This record gives sequence, structure tokens and C-alpha cells, in this order.
Amino acid sequence: MFLTFALITLLGALSLAFQKNLVVAGLCMVLTFFGVAGLFLLLANPVAAALQVIVYSGAIVVLVLFVIMLLSAHEEEEALKAHAIQRWGSAAAALALAGGAVKVVLSSSFLRTPPSPGIPPPMDLGALGNALFKNHLAAFEIVGLLLLATMVGAVVLVKRDL
Amino acid sequence: MEFLARLLHLQPQTFWMIAKVIIVFAGPLTLAALLTWVERRGSAMIQDRIGPNRALLFGRWRLLGLPQLAADGIKFFLKEDLVTADANKALFWLAPFLAFVPAMMGFAVIPFGRSLVQGGQTYHMSLLEPGNGMGMLYPLAIGSVAVYGILTAAWSSNNKWSILGGMRASAQMVSYELAMSLAVVAIFLRTGGYDPHEIIAHQAVLWNVIPQFFGFLVFFVCMFAETNRLPFDFAEGESEIVAGFHTEYGSMKFALLQLSEYVHIVTAAALIVTLYFGGWQVPFVAAPSVTLSIAAFVLKLVFFCWVFIWIRWTVPRFRFDQLMFMGWKVMLPLSLGNLMVQAFLMYRRG
Repeated sequence: MFLTFALITLLGALSLAFQKNLVVAGLCMVLTFFGVAGLFLLLANPVAAALQVIVYSGAIVVLVLFVIMLLSAHEEEEALKAHAIQRWGSAAAALALAGGAVKVVLSSSFLRTPPSPGIPPPMDLGALGNALFKNHLAAFEIVGLLLLATMVGAVVLVKRDL
Repeated sequence: MEFLARLLHLQPQTFWMIAKVIIVFAGPLTLAALLTWVERRGSAMIQDRIGPNRALLFGRWRLLGLPQLAADGIKFFLKEDLVTADANKALFWLAPFLAFVPAMMGFAVIPFGRSLVQGGQTYHMSLLEPGNGMGMLYPLAIGSVAVYGILTAAWSSNNKWSILGGMRASAQMVSYELAMSLAVVAIFLRTGGYDPHEIIAHQAVLWNVIPQFFGFLVFFVCMFAETNRLPFDFAEGESEIVAGFHTEYGSMKFALLQLSEYVHIVTAAALIVTLYFGGWQVPFVAAPSVTLSIAAFVLKLVFFCWVFIWIRWTVPRFRFDQLMFMGWKVMLPLSLGNLMVQAFLMYRRG
């Protein structure tokens, strides 16, 4: 099961990166998000899986596809050739992120002391709410403030004559 | 239950699991097929005309036009399968499945009857067992990916009308999803849980439609937007953009797109019944028998399916700016206000 979902995620991501057609690339992104949702399910976190599908597959990619359809009716013009510095910069950024992720996994305490066998109870909405509003309240509020600032910025940029 | 299982040499649990899969897939599909008949006869009734009644079974029986269903099915199978030259072939083929699969999946979480206790075993009347952690988030998630069928169909047809329809569908989807989810969250608050079994058990005394009337209004309207039915069928909009996202579709692919719309109606009606009309609860009967509870659920379900058709042939279509106005300036504030009032009441109660 893990391999299936991991393969779905990886193949979706790879075809997203190499797909020339924007709308097909968007659909590949949906596939990737579904793979990640499946991985969440395997981690006994159905709430995260459901939210992943609702927010990312359901809302964000629909919006992205809407904009793609709005801007270019069907056939896209040839994309600009990427500059060498962009290519190397993005490769370096991806490598740094991957290295960081691997380091976090390797330094996890679960690797030294395997968790007790048996199936843990699945996460539910109540536990998620407690985690957000009790343990990580400051981070939650800061993220909310950041999103609000982004929204105000977007409105100001678009509506010059308020 | 045990008798039937022994007949097939299966464990009762295994037998019930298989039976549930069949019920959950065949039930909505059958109802959807019947709805296409109800829609045409019902619209004829509402508009004071006769409607389709010429198809005869074995050249003899008219059966109120029901043989029309079989005639349509045969026609769809035998029609030539046209794909336009400039369409994106792979996506054009994929789109009807992308529309149909989510439509069929949504019903899995709905309890269609009271749980049966027999021989020390509890048989739950929903495909997903209670306490799976997904609860009512599941139909919301499935509903939010349903739009991809329309989007893919619209874009792959390579037709200006179709793309217009697809864009309308995605804009409409994003605008109405927010208000709908907030209305459902108010139900979660009121119940103190988000599993459909809990939500139904909590409505034993009072159906949610009375204390949550505004939430119900918002959810009801959003369901029309989600199922792309008149007065919200902008993706199709036949008087403005030919047939919208399925302009280029014919034969069985068109039938699948159409059928998935009707399955969506069944799922939407089931959600309305579960969230606001007590699911399988029977009014004034404290503990209905299993058969009675299933009958009550099916009766409510069929009634709301009829409401969807009834409204389609009664209310004219909105304009697109009216749709956006209503989504963002009426439905969203109403839903948010409903949620705030519910939260305040819970805070007062402690």
C-alpha cells in the first residue's frame, strides 16, 4: 500500500515537472495530492487526508486550472527558455529541501526506539483542534495574520482606485 | 443475515460487506436511472404536456413511458462514438470517468438505516463503518473533486463553448464550497461530533432543520450549485453556450456524464436528509425497527430527489453575476453568521 501511494505521488510529481501541457500538468498535480492523501491515510490520519483533498485537490488546483483556462484558451505558445541560472538555482533549492527532509527523518527519535506495536487510534477532528488551538496557538495566529496580509496586498494590487 | 450468509458459505461479516458494496453502488445508480424518467415525465406534468410515452415494451405495453429508459440505453450503446479531430483524445476519453467515479463514491458514508444487531454482531448500514475518522469530511472531499470531470470534459473538447462552461463550473464551485462547508461545520458544532451516525443519533428528538434553519437554507442552495442543476446550471447553460461542457459529447460518453449528474442528485439528497432531516429517524417513533428506518430514509431520499426536479422546472436560471453576488454576498455571510451564533450559543451553555 505504501509503495502504491508513494509511486502515485512520485510519478504524478515527475510528470507534473516534465509535462508541457499546462492543464495536463494541473491534473498530474491533483494525482500527486491524492497520493499524499493516501499516505496520510496510512499514517492513521484520515482528517489530514480529507483536508488535503478538500483544500488542495478541491479548491486550490481548481482555481489554478480556472486561471490557466482564462488566460490561454487552448494551445499554449512556446514557453521561454529557462536561463541557466534559474535551472541551477532551482536544482540547488530542490536538493537543499530534499537534504533537509532526509536529515529530519534520520534524526527522528522513532528510528532508535520503534513505537509500540499495535494500531494507534486514528486522528479525529477534536484532536486536531486541540493540537492547533492549544499546543500551536501562536503559530496558528501568525499564519492567519500572514494570510490576511497577503489577501489585503492582493486586493490593493488589483484595485488601485479603492 | 446469518442464514443468507450460510447459504453462500460466507462469514456473516464478509457477506454483509459484499452486500453493502452492491447496495451502495447499485442503489443510487438505479435511482438515478429512474430519475431520468421522472425528470422527463415530471417536467411534462409541470408544463402541462404529455412527455415521452411512445416507446412500447414488446410493441405492446406502454407502462407510463418507462420503456423509454431501455430505448435510450440501447440508442446510446449503438450510436457512433465521435471524437472531434482537434480534441485531446486521452483526456476526452478520461473525462466521463472522472465525472462518474466521484459521483458513485459519495454515497459510501451515508447510513441508510438503523444498525442491525443480530447474534451478538452489529451490522452498520453504511459502507464506511462509524469511527473511521473521516466522517462527514468524506462527502465534502469527494464533492470537491467532482468538478474535475466537468473541467476535463470542457477543456479536452477544444471548443469555445465548452471551455466557457468549464470556467463557469470552476468559478461556481470555488464560490459555493466555502459557504457549504461552513454550514456543515455548524452541524458539527451542534452535534459535538462529525460522524454521520452520531449526527443522526443526535437528531432523535429534534431534526436539525429547525434549530439550523439558516444553515439548511445555505446548504440546500449550495447543493444545487454543486450538482450543477437549474437554477445553477451555468456549466451547461443551453440557451447561451449550446450545451456547455458536454457540447462535443455523444453516445455512451454523454450518457455517463448525464448519469453522473443524476447520481449527484441522489447523493445530494442523501446528504440533506442525513444532515438536516434526521437520516433514518422516524418522527414520533422512538426506536424504529430496521425495516421501518430504511423505509423512512428511502422515502425522504426520494422526496428530496423530486424536489431537485421540481425546482428545475419551476425556477428560471440566474445570470452569472447574480450567481457570484449570491455566493459571496448572501450565502457566505449567512453561513458565517449562522456559525457564529451557533458557537455563541454553545459558549453560553458552557
